[in-house]
Amino acid sequence: MSTELRQRPAKPRQGWKVALSILIITALTVWSAIGVGVDFGAIVRNWSNASDTLVKLSQPDYTFWPETVQALVETVLMAVIATALSAAVSLPLAFLASGVTNPSGWLRRITRFVINVVRAVPDLLYAAILVSVVGTGALSGIIALILFDIGIIVKLVSEAIDSVDQGPQEAALSAGATWTKAGRTAVLPLAMPAYISQVLYTFELNIRASAVIGLVGAGGLGVLIDNVRTFYHYHYLSLIILEILILVLVIEFFSSTARKRLAR
Amino acid sequence: MTDSPQRTDITFEQVEVAYPNGQTGLSDINLHIPAGQMVGVVGLSGAGKSTLVRSINGLVKITGGDLAVGDLHLAGLKGADLRRLRSTVGMVFQGFNLARRTTVLNNVLMGRLYHTSTWRTLISAWAKDDIDMAMDALERVEILPRAYARASELSGGQQQRVGIARTLAQRPSVILADEPVASLDPPTSHVVMRDLQRINRELGVTVITNLHFLDLARKYSDRLIGLRAGKLVFDGTGDEADEQAFEKIYGRSLTAEDVMDAKPALDGA
Amino acid sequence: MSIVAQRPTRPTRWPLRLIWLAIIAIVVFAFWKIQINWSSLADFPSQLWKYLGLMFAPPDVSTVGQSLSATLLSVQMAWLGTVLGIIVSFPLSFLAARGVAPVVIRLPMRLIFAVIRAVPEVVIAVLMLSITGLTPFTGALALAIGSVGTLGKWGYEAYENTEPGPIEAVRAVGGSRWQVVRWGLWPQVSPEVLALWLYRFEINVRASTILGLIGAGGIGKLLIDNVQFRIWDAVGMLLIVVIIVTMIIDQISGAIRYRLIYGRWALAGYGQRRALLKRRTLERK
Repeated sequence: MSTELRQRPAKPRQGWKVALSILIITALTVWSAIGVGVDFGAIVRNWSNASDTLVKLSQPDYTFWPETVQALVETVLMAVIATALSAAVSLPLAFLASGVTNPSGWLRRITRFVINVVRAVPDLLYAAILVSVVGTGALSGIIALILFDIGIIVKLVSEAIDSVDQGPQEAALSAGATWTKAGRTAVLPLAMPAYISQVLYTFELNIRASAVIGLVGAGGLGVLIDNVRTFYHYHYLSLIILEILILVLVIEFFSSTARKRLAR
Repeated sequence: MTDSPQRTDITFEQVEVAYPNGQTGLSDINLHIPAGQMVGVVGLSGAGKSTLVRSINGLVKITGGDLAVGDLHLAGLKGADLRRLRSTVGMVFQGFNLARRTTVLNNVLMGRLYHTSTWRTLISAWAKDDIDMAMDALERVEILPRAYARASELSGGQQQRVGIARTLAQRPSVILADEPVASLDPPTSHVVMRDLQRINRELGVTVITNLHFLDLARKYSDRLIGLRAGKLVFDGTGDEADEQAFEKIYGRSLTAEDVMDAKPALDGA
Repeated sequence: MSIVAQRPTRPTRWPLRLIWLAIIAIVVFAFWKIQINWSSLADFPSQLWKYLGLMFAPPDVSTVGQSLSATLLSVQMAWLGTVLGIIVSFPLSFLAARGVAPVVIRLPMRLIFAVIRAVPEVVIAVLMLSITGLTPFTGALALAIGSVGTLGKWGYEAYENTEPGPIEAVRAVGGSRWQVVRWGLWPQVSPEVLALWLYRFEINVRASTILGLIGAGGIGKLLIDNVQFRIWDAVGMLLIVVIIVTMIIDQISGAIRYRLIYGRWALAGYGQRRALLKRRTLERK
């Protein structure tokens, strides 16, 4: 029996799949490189300018600080207001968008479709358009942030609702509750940690977004960035960027600490 | 505490349940369960025990025949009528089905949802009467001191008693218990079964329990119902459930896995 | 039951209550302090309706070709930025992982990732703008730098969440440090890491649109030009193109990610991205 040569299984032919994937990825990359116009040489040629600018950027002008305070505060206020309002609007929408809490198929599909459309537009695009609609300033920024936030909160919270333990809901329904009542009493407590965590995360995103949303005139530090970069005040620019960096890191520290506590 | 529950008899007439995948859940079930009876449903897993119990409150839809709970007929019952039926039929679950992150009291208050308006539910503004009823129910299962504890802090047996309190808060005329002790150890199982029995005796509530263990079913039921492959194969008292009846239900003789307190069988093994 | 037993009283959870009070106070303060012309809010619905009408009733269909090519340029920027970001972050993420690199390398790497993540892509682009001038290519570089921060972090977190068993097994047969990485670590994390690369591409598609607003070209540039000249029906067409292209990319990328994680094809919709969701809710970024 041992002398008998056993038939070895043929190696499954998976190679073409890998080859095809590599081909597609390479083609996409080459296509992008041509379209974008890759030119590392230009960076080298510009380097003499660049080194000069970099030196200026590395020396923030701290005397500019008092003039940034108001914009800094406005950035935070915008983020707070946008987070609070979008959190309030998103919660019922998330319940509408989840199959667990919304038995109506068409209502759920419409909600999801609208949310997906809203989510496909970046915050700064909203801001650029809203500045024309409601005028420059914090209001257009806040509305832009809210639109953007609703998209992410509803999506992620409804996914969290999809994965909660459905036992309590079944118990509530079997006691004669409506879907709304069962959602409020049996599903909400279970989805609450995910919801709060998501809102905190959105607040972090909002801080970062509201710092730059002013580039198109929607209030906050971005307005200042736009001003100083037009006049090549690199010492000022680096101070503003430093402020954003510190603000974001501080907010993220508190927020992520809170979220870690929630996850326990 | 009882508001003298109205007599709610349960009648199955040629009830059929077919699942969408073509599988048969129940076929040709005829039963009359008078109000106030303590009924145990036994059978192998997959025999249709759960289906039978869940058809009574419409969690499983019947696909043929007539099933009546009091004067309400389950076939085609939906919306507000179905909720009205469910409000008088409590259900105790195998996995307790508690919202573990919230308080014991909130869980018991879920039994009052049918009687609470939606806006009150949304802002958690429970009526004082409802809180009273929930507290009474907790007292009956001896969990009252833990009313404001988180459900997740309780042991398994305590959680199941909270589940029972939740159905008591409904002021039900029927309690359905779907494998209520399957997740519990033997001593705790007896405590929970005694609770159910006490509720049956003191409040006159019909209790229908499906149980895996034959000895538990015999000990705590006035009447045993045996199912096999969706068909009714035994209906009688616990004493009548002899070896012969057993083989009809299980298709084989009794083994240690079929009883909870299986000392003789275990010794033999 | 005539004797009423002693009922427990409702406990007050002070820390929680204080946190809520603080949050409410902050929100109220924000509303009170912010300088907004609230009267313009009253006009907002009618204004919004008017502008929606200008943009979409009807959109300027003749600009669809122009919009599409500008959108494709943005997508190209996003793709190139993602690829460059992957090339840089992939080796770096191993150097930041516990069990692979020593502390002296690990900690500085993590600090770099953290700093990059704290700076919005637009700010990176503004810096690029000041240094090398802003072209589609430098826009892609800005996206690449931004991607290094997130991809680096996601990478080392994935490596650190692996089972120790397979790694020990490679050590036990005498594998070198990099053999451990290749055969003990990588097989465990590769589906997830590949999925995260795609997820970052989805993010970059949105970010590249934004970069156009400050001059990197592509859809953002076209949009801001049309907004400035108030050619609203062209803006409407642009928005439609952006939304459709973004949603298509999300769907394709989501389906591939689903295939990577679960090993079979399915249209990625709601509730089907749990594996990634779990990561995102836990760590974020």
